[in-house]
Amino acid sequence: MKTLDSLVEKALSRRTFLAGAGAVATTVALAGCGNSAPTGGGGNTYTDADVLNFALNLEYLEAQFYLYAATGSGLASTDTAAPSGYTGKYTEGTVTVGSAAQVAGLSSAQQEILNEIAFEEQTHVQFLRSALGSAAVPMPDLDLSFFGPLAVAATITTAPTGEGSFNPFSSFDYFLVGAFIFEDVGVTAYSGAAPLITPAGVTAGFLTAAAGILAVEAYHAGYVRTSLTGRAIAAGSAAAYPYLAAANLVEALRATLTVGNSAAPSTEGSVETLLVLPGSVSMPSAIVAADPTHAVGFARTVNQVHHIVYGSATVGVAKGGFFPNGTNSIFATTTA
Amino acid sequence: MANQETQLLDELITTSRRKMMTFGAASLAGLVMAAAAPEAKAAAAAYSDADILNFALNLEYLEANFYYLAAFGTTIDKSNAASIAAGGPSAGIPITGSVGTAGTVSGGSKVPFATVTVGSYATETAIEEGKHVLFLQSALGGSAVAQPAINLGTSWQTLAAAANMVTPAGNIPAGFSPYANDDTFLVGAYVFEDVGVTAYHGAASLLTTASNLSAAAGILGVEAYHAGLVRTSLNYLDPTGAAGLVGYTTSISNLRNALSQAGLLGVPPSATSYDANPDDYGIATFTTPKGLGGGGAATATRIVDANPANVVAFARNTTQVLNIVTGGGAVNGTAAVSPAMGVFFPAGMNAGPNGFK
Repeated sequence: MKTLDSLVEKALSRRTFLAGAGAVATTVALAGCGNSAPTGGGGNTYTDADVLNFALNLEYLEAQFYLYAATGSGLASTDTAAPSGYTGKYTEGTVTVGSAAQVAGLSSAQQEILNEIAFEEQTHVQFLRSALGSAAVPMPDLDLSFFGPLAVAATITTAPTGEGSFNPFSSFDYFLVGAFIFEDVGVTAYSGAAPLITPAGVTAGFLTAAAGILAVEAYHAGYVRTSLTGRAIAAGSAAAYPYLAAANLVEALRATLTVGNSAAPSTEGSVETLLVLPGSVSMPSAIVAADPTHAVGFARTVNQVHHIVYGSATVGVAKGGFFPNGTNSIFATTTA
Repeated sequence: MANQETQLLDELITTSRRKMMTFGAASLAGLVMAAAAPEAKAAAAAYSDADILNFALNLEYLEANFYYLAAFGTTIDKSNAASIAAGGPSAGIPITGSVGTAGTVSGGSKVPFATVTVGSYATETAIEEGKHVLFLQSALGGSAVAQPAINLGTSWQTLAAAANMVTPAGNIPAGFSPYANDDTFLVGAYVFEDVGVTAYHGAASLLTTASNLSAAAGILGVEAYHAGLVRTSLNYLDPTGAAGLVGYTTSISNLRNALSQAGLLGVPPSATSYDANPDDYGIATFTTPKGLGGGGAATATRIVDANPANVVAFARNTTQVLNIVTGGGAVNGTAAVSPAMGVFFPAGMNAGPNGFK
């Protein structure tokens, strides 16, 4: 029975836990993963630590992308190495930088936005590592040059005026399209992962932590989609702002990569909401990506997320795309 | 243990309390009474999944009516050509339920939107919040509460005055109306959206069935998209703070924080008995508390309303949320009260036998 007293205590203990006090967090993490080994997510047996480590893989990718975009360099080595006491099988990977660099031509306001998102994704890496303690996987190999092949796969072929082929580090608008690749996926990944957390993990605070990170990813996604839509409106037409169409091509590619893979996470089938360019104040924009019947946000399975970040619709694939040697995760191989 | 942060909060809440004493608004009684508050916990209340979803439904009635009025000029129970054209239901959204009597909505009017950007956002959000009402009604079936009485008129002036009393003093005009223009509409939306995020976040770990959890997580995401939209738009309109919008958000967030702090403990705050950490931030830029990568700290916007220590969004319990949307009406003297009432919910929320505290 939930009492208000327990709610209050939970709120207070949540703060203790979320404060990332290493010893406390490690203890509850271990308690959480020791208590449960359910099956699901395509037949794998997994623990709460596996779910959080899956999220950590995605956060490594996002943090590196945003840090390079904001500053021209990536995570500090203390945030990527295997933690002290780590006994797992994964080793620290490297980043294939490609053309990753501080985004060119940023205004100070734009720079501050990039700083914010970079700081927040970096903090998610640090927070998850702290919560997992010695169970945290080190950073896997990451390939930030995959944006090129991804753009080809998405058929983003027409370079806007003054731009070369798609490179999220070459302009603020291209950066928005690059960020767009990740943010809606981050939202759906956490939405899909939250119900996987075991009752012990809920007690340990993992669920509320996952829900809180889900919200942050949705704030980011709201930022990216609002910016793309607003800049298209300001430009006057879709033709004058081709980045909107490029973002929608990314959505179409994501849908292609996940079609037929495992159970549809939404009863509506599609988990994409294309951006629109409203023609008047009385026409709705499409900032929110959500099921059109109920306006409830989408979820993706861990399997669907892997298909997207590997850039592959093939079943049985264990690496590719942004993760050239796979995620450091029990879910690394696509299963359906 | 007092540190600089807690001392600032002490001052903030003590000052606002003192000023509210003279303000005299009954709805702010919670904070007024705080002066004599002993240490005490709120009386226990049990919440079922249905209770939690009904709590959310009350908030969605509030949000949906605000956006419907702003975008279409009508309340949610009256469909019109504009709402239908925008994707809303062809009939009015039901406002009756098995629990409670349908209340009326006072105040609110169509915003004369000047920009497609803000107008289309309002239109989208109205339709989505209306769908949330329908979705929760559907999920609750025979347990759904009716729409409570809602005040979307004078509430704004009451809250504006209260926000200006929080230290440091805000600068929201006394006659503030969110229905005046694009900018003020966004400020009005700002009042709700971050609260919606914290409410669904707080509810997530209370829900006992997986389907309810998934639905709540999905709506949480949508509320955060909305909040991101609102904060991003305000940032674009006032990138340096010179237009005053940034200052408004700081005042509102400070007020929400003070009211939430009172709700957090189930009692009003006293100098030693509230949480030391703020749970709300306006959109003003901040210096990152850690360096980026291997480099130094940087100046950053605050599109995301989250704890800077771990960048996890805030969660609030029902008392905290109630205390915000009732302007302090959830905490009175030594305990959380039921029904909590005031400001947006002048007669309180519609609730089951246990009420909401």
